[in-house]
Amino acid sequence: MTELLRLDGLEVHFPVRRGFGDIVSGRSKGAVRAVDGIDIAINRGEVLALVGESGSGKTTTGRVIVKLTRQTAGTMTFDGQDVSALWGTRALREYRRRVQLIFQDPYETLDPKQTIHDFVMEPLEVNHVGTSAAEREAMVAASLEAAGLRPASSYAFRYPHELSGGQRQRVVIAGALAVGPELVVADEPVSMLDVSIRTELLRLMLDLRAARNLTYLFVTHDLSLAWVIADRIAVMYLGRIVEIGPAADVIGRPRHPYTAALVSVSPSPEPPEPGERAKRTILVGETPDASNIPHGCRFNTRCPLVFDRCRVEEPPLIEVGGGQSAACWLAETAAPTALATGDVATAEVVAEAAVSTDVGIAGL
Amino acid sequence: MTSTADVGAAAVRDARNERLRLLARNARSFARRFLSRGDGVVGLVVLVAFAVLAIAPELFVGPLETATRATGHALEPPSAAHLFGTDDLGRDMLNRTVHGARISMTIGLMATLITIVVGTLVGIVAGYVGGRVDGVLMRISDFFLVLPTFVLAIILAPVIIEIVGVESEILGIRATLMVIIVVIGLTSWATTARIIRSQVLSLKGRMFVDRARVIGSGPGRIMVKHILPNVMNLIVAQAVLTFAVAVFTETTLSFIGLGDPFQPSWGEILNAAEGTGAPGLGAWWYIAPPAASVVLVVLAFTLVGNALDDLLNPKSAGRR
Amino acid sequence: MTEELGPVAPSGAVALPEDATIAPDAAAEVRGRRQWPLPKLAVPGAPLLEVKDLETHFKLRQGWVRAVDGVSFGLADGEALGLAGESACGKTTTALSLVQLLPANGHIRKGSIELFGIDLVGKSERAMQRYRWREISIVFQGAMNALNPVIRVRDQIAEPVQYRLGQSEAASRKRAIELLDLVGIPSKRSDAYPHELSGGMRQRAMIAMALACDPAIVIGDEPTTALDVMVQAQILELLERLRRELGLSLILITHDLSVLAETCDRVLIMYAGKVAEEGPVRRVFTAPRHPYTRKLVNSFPNVRADRRTLDVIQGQPPDLLTPPPGCRFAARCEFAMPVCREVVPPEVRFSDGVRVACHLFPTSDIPGEAAAS
Repeated sequence: MTELLRLDGLEVHFPVRRGFGDIVSGRSKGAVRAVDGIDIAINRGEVLALVGESGSGKTTTGRVIVKLTRQTAGTMTFDGQDVSALWGTRALREYRRRVQLIFQDPYETLDPKQTIHDFVMEPLEVNHVGTSAAEREAMVAASLEAAGLRPASSYAFRYPHELSGGQRQRVVIAGALAVGPELVVADEPVSMLDVSIRTELLRLMLDLRAARNLTYLFVTHDLSLAWVIADRIAVMYLGRIVEIGPAADVIGRPRHPYTAALVSVSPSPEPPEPGERAKRTILVGETPDASNIPHGCRFNTRCPLVFDRCRVEEPPLIEVGGGQSAACWLAETAAPTALATGDVATAEVVAEAAVSTDVGIAGL
Repeated sequence: MTSTADVGAAAVRDARNERLRLLARNARSFARRFLSRGDGVVGLVVLVAFAVLAIAPELFVGPLETATRATGHALEPPSAAHLFGTDDLGRDMLNRTVHGARISMTIGLMATLITIVVGTLVGIVAGYVGGRVDGVLMRISDFFLVLPTFVLAIILAPVIIEIVGVESEILGIRATLMVIIVVIGLTSWATTARIIRSQVLSLKGRMFVDRARVIGSGPGRIMVKHILPNVMNLIVAQAVLTFAVAVFTETTLSFIGLGDPFQPSWGEILNAAEGTGAPGLGAWWYIAPPAASVVLVVLAFTLVGNALDDLLNPKSAGRR
Repeated sequence: MTEELGPVAPSGAVALPEDATIAPDAAAEVRGRRQWPLPKLAVPGAPLLEVKDLETHFKLRQGWVRAVDGVSFGLADGEALGLAGESACGKTTTALSLVQLLPANGHIRKGSIELFGIDLVGKSERAMQRYRWREISIVFQGAMNALNPVIRVRDQIAEPVQYRLGQSEAASRKRAIELLDLVGIPSKRSDAYPHELSGGMRQRAMIAMALACDPAIVIGDEPTTALDVMVQAQILELLERLRRELGLSLILITHDLSVLAETCDRVLIMYAGKVAEEGPVRRVFTAPRHPYTRKLVNSFPNVRADRRTLDVIQGQPPDLLTPPPGCRFAARCEFAMPVCREVVPPEVRFSDGVRVACHLFPTSDIPGEAAAS
């Protein structure tokens, strides 16, 4: 597999707008570090899921890739070319044909005054795809039918409000695929839809990948959706990737306590045994503010396995084999995996043992 | 290959037909919803009546009576010969009021056009482009917002007449009247720009604008294809309400003497009535017809404008 | 197909499911904890809530949308009932009917809603105020929209205590701070404005507000849907704790089956305005009878199951302006028989406490039990 997109040290820092008091005192509030140094490589033809809660920087990362937001540092390489500095309607024309975005909210993405036909036609017209109007019409119909809106003629001349949520999202998909992109960033493409139609749309996306040789970056807050669609999963917390690896491994044997906690609270329609509570590791508190990231490991304020070193030194992504790595000093122990089953006590025992016996982990 | 091309050509034809069909359908559904609003319909009937009078006053009351062509004696009260009485020069009031409709409404229309075109342009550009452009445009609009209409009119009148010349005519309107049109335009575009801008700001944050950027549309295309259709509702409603204000302002400006005595707008007639001392002479018929006309037209525009606003405003229209 | 289902349990009018987490004498115990007396009109010994044959329709120009079309269910003291189904299946309309907070074109056209034996259908707006919020309160989905942005959270919670229950200002403020503490908002944050709180904290504040008048029933309308998974888990844990500590009865409405699996005793699966299946949560989710329930459970993405077995529900729910005759799920059902398209399936109750409306299950395994309507 060849690499399609590579991000190196990508950062997006938004300056904090200062209040009147700050101007008077000359104090600066610093920056919101929405994305704080991430490196990822997406291979041609794979589905990489970027999982994180709100405030993790996953959506900002997606917006940087589709050039809706500019990075403040770091480089982007697309198909071997450095595209970091590319900006502006004209300069981006070719890039935009090759990289498309499927938005989260099908109710918001469709212009209420635009028919379905015009929505799908627009990218073709803007980018001068096709040689004649007739050819473009044929491409619009083909895109709609590929997205499961068959026959295209019965949907093309309707307005968005005349369609159901699932149909709208199919229109959004058809519109993104019309120009024949290679990389598709899908930002929470099904989270506004009913659970019962989510699976259907995820299937559609996978079918389209096979048919059109697409590569997806699937941005979501829901680990179980990532699990349905992704080949690899990257978990983000407070602007950094804390764990990345093959989907089955990240979910089956998580190596970072945050991933483990997410796995343990991941929704399941199986009721617990009578008289029992579901075994889960529920983290206390909320994700800290991205303008005030904790020192040391950024997860140390909420980690059930925190020890001294975590508060002073931020762990790098530690490779644990099989293409999986996690940014945790305990990545190579069994402690995080125990957390994933909701067994906090065992995890604590394992972690304590590792810290007291292994200088490589304890560090100090 | 030929078959695909044929299919494509047929699809192009279909697309054109469907577009027309949708246009017709939207117009029908809009007409139905508008007709179900009683107040709007009343307003519309009044407006259509005045519009017909304004377009072809000669058909109803003959050519405009002047001092030399007067058909009656001075200040005759209403009678069978002169339904609305006569003025101090013996001219038929009905004749003058109907001809006044043409002047008043033309001024209103032109002032509204200026207001809406400038206001929309500034509002969309300021809102969508943002940043420094927005800052500069909004400071300019602030300046025009606080300009007092009457003072501006008094200052501008000689300037504009100087520029275009007293005798020149534009669209059958004498230059002096252009003063009023320009003054109304200058003082009211800023309000429209503000309203449009705030709507554009909220549209700019909508995802379909981001989407248009992602597929490669430039700012110009986005403003024309996505922003403009979505503020169209606001523009239409705003235009109708502006028209009402323009007619009213025209009346006021003419009344204080900035009109053209050779072009009897309603305000001009009222000004003449006041100059003659009609109130003191008990000549109510000199005042009532133009005054009632102004009130009726302004009221009708407001009724239609409010009905349109309710129907077109996405916030008040029931969303599914 | 029915033989493989659990042992026969004694069934009665208010039979509790075999694996209910609450004891049968919970009713007396729960009502004993009330701070305020029962409403004057309450019928002694009547169950907490009985909804019978409820029909709530919406009037449109083209006719009536039959959003809720003959729904019956009960709620016992201290019980948690989940209402599930796709959007527009009528679950939210059912809940809003209970407190009569329907949109202007919504009307309860038939049926009864008995709270402590008092029929709320047909009560005047004034009379409803005695019950709304004081006996039945609601936690809505969008906490930001439901909170007034310019009033301190504490004062918004104190308001119903002061005006509905006639407490003094000081006492109601004290109660508000207690309530916020109960839902996990520290007292030092109690004078915050809504925008100063995070999404999870606002939802906690909403819960505190719903608890202000010590209601018998709290309805949660998608209370966790807009929240992050971890915050969602925290809120569910809070609801569970409150239910145990305060003896609340909960009605949870959500399309997220996992929420119901974890928090509810019983679930009611709705489809196109009708009850498809109802029963103890373990029974319904692990051995679903109705084909719709089966599809719904199997289409739920679950990291603990094999991702290749995920199911898909093809098609769309019917238009409720002109619902099809017969079973409303027939058009999407892979087991549909000719009878399904013509005859509305009766609701049949089984010995394991499950009620199902499907022609695949025409007769009850309870001797002498005719088809319940």
